[in-house]
Amino acid sequence: MEKPLSAAIAVRDLVKKYGDVEAVGGVSFEVETGTIFGLLGRNGAGKTTTLETCVGLTRPTSGEVRVLGLDPSRRRDFQALRKRIGVQLQTTSLPEKAKAREILQLYAAYYGVRVDLPEIAARVGLEDKLDRLVGTMSGGEQQRLALALAFLHDPEVVFLDEPTAGMDAFGRRILWGEVTRLRDAGKALVLTTHYIEEAERLCDEICVVQAGKVVARGTPAALVAQYGGDACIDFSARGFTLIPELDRLGRWTHQAESWALAVHGDAGHALGAIVAHANTLSVAIDELDLHRPNLEDAFIAITGESLDDEKPSAAA
Amino acid sequence: MSTLAVLGAQTRANFTWYFWRDGEMIFWSLGIPVFFLLVFSFALGANNTRTASTFLVPGVIGAQVLSSGFWGIGAMLATFREKKLLRRVYLTPLPTWVFFAALVLYRMTLLAAQALLLALVGAFVFGVRFTGNPFEIAFVLILGAATFVSLGSVIGAVVRSTESANNIVSVLTVPLAFLSDAYFPIDRFPKHIGQILRLLPSTQFIDMLRDVAMYGAPLTHYTVWILILVVWTIGATAISARFFRWV
Repeated sequence: MEKPLSAAIAVRDLVKKYGDVEAVGGVSFEVETGTIFGLLGRNGAGKTTTLETCVGLTRPTSGEVRVLGLDPSRRRDFQALRKRIGVQLQTTSLPEKAKAREILQLYAAYYGVRVDLPEIAARVGLEDKLDRLVGTMSGGEQQRLALALAFLHDPEVVFLDEPTAGMDAFGRRILWGEVTRLRDAGKALVLTTHYIEEAERLCDEICVVQAGKVVARGTPAALVAQYGGDACIDFSARGFTLIPELDRLGRWTHQAESWALAVHGDAGHALGAIVAHANTLSVAIDELDLHRPNLEDAFIAITGESLDDEKPSAAA
Repeated sequence: MSTLAVLGAQTRANFTWYFWRDGEMIFWSLGIPVFFLLVFSFALGANNTRTASTFLVPGVIGAQVLSSGFWGIGAMLATFREKKLLRRVYLTPLPTWVFFAALVLYRMTLLAAQALLLALVGAFVFGVRFTGNPFEIAFVLILGAATFVSLGSVIGAVVRSTESANNIVSVLTVPLAFLSDAYFPIDRFPKHIGQILRLLPSTQFIDMLRDVAMYGAPLTHYTVWILILVVWTIGATAISARFFRWV
């Protein structure tokens, strides 16, 4: 199997079938160390199955998976691997009558590491929740505890399955900060998400997954540039007229005093030119509005679907 | 931390999480057996509660061994799996055997406490005397525990959902206790039925426990039954090892 040597994770032609149902239909990607890689897609797109195959919970029907050069579907490789990876599953249930402190201590013992409990707890914002029973913690707090279990042994690769599903804004900020910190510490991270904002802000590279297939791949900026469509500048200006240099910037439409320019690429440059020209004409611009294409536009263009109907509270 | 230290820590955690902090568990594992011993001793004993209690102490202890295996291991594993707790542990380097051993150790420690409590209630309330060799009694108890832990683990290995595991375990535990010489003598059944019931590992174990602990029967008398229980244990362990799934 050919892959770049530095790739922490290499997935090639991964197929997973459950009976006749194809959950994953030929997914390939590589993840370099020191990057955050996102699998973005709707629920049921095959993200979780892909991630669970990478961590050895699911056996691929065909295709190859290598994590740190090891094959998680092989028993011996899996045993070597589980010390070196950290995982936060989508639904992690921890014993309800256990205290956060006890779980962290026990997991540290599983990995044979000594941990600074207050430091670990502080990193996930649970410093004053260490003596709370899991059953009395909120969903978001349990998720953050599960996150701590994914990194307390300083793994080389971290997998996070829908890590912020059901989290409040505070939890998300903490998780995003910690994920970024892990990336900066040289870990390779894979996360699945159906939150556009999360993918756009957090991920260095994104695979858009739809119906078990990778339908687009790239940095968020590249995906937006390629699929996001035109930026749109809307304004109204009484007495505004076009000149050839402006006309060349993109597609203009206007109705009475309302002008709209659809521009591909550098919207800032176009905006500057419009303002400069308005100044030359001594025309006042009102209601100026710039809409840059974002990842959501790109996602809709790529998949023909929106993620809107999936509310942040959906845990599954 | 050495593996043994991890085993100790996990066993302690099991105790804390599933026993000390679970009032229902304390009630079912300590309150109910004592209640059964008291009620049945008075009810069956009429004017000789000591004879009845002498029969019942090993019977109720034996029934607890059954329920430790079926509930404590079988239903527990199915619950762990359905709650997705097993798969999380599977992703850590914790050796499989440590996870099992800690669960078994927790239940065996609890079982020892249950047996001690029932023996004390028998001795102080009803004047029951234990004439057997303590080592032989311990041997029979451990053999029975091994048998029913491994039978229970088959349920935990094969049954997928908590609900069906609970149903199977209820159906097994309650009638078995009544049919295995635990709460009342199966001699009172028609002879042929009694002979058939003596083929049950639960009957063999409870009869052996009672005879060795209370009536001073020598262990050597039960070589065949001991071998049968060993075969059950090996067979059941092999089946659960073959079919056990973490996810």
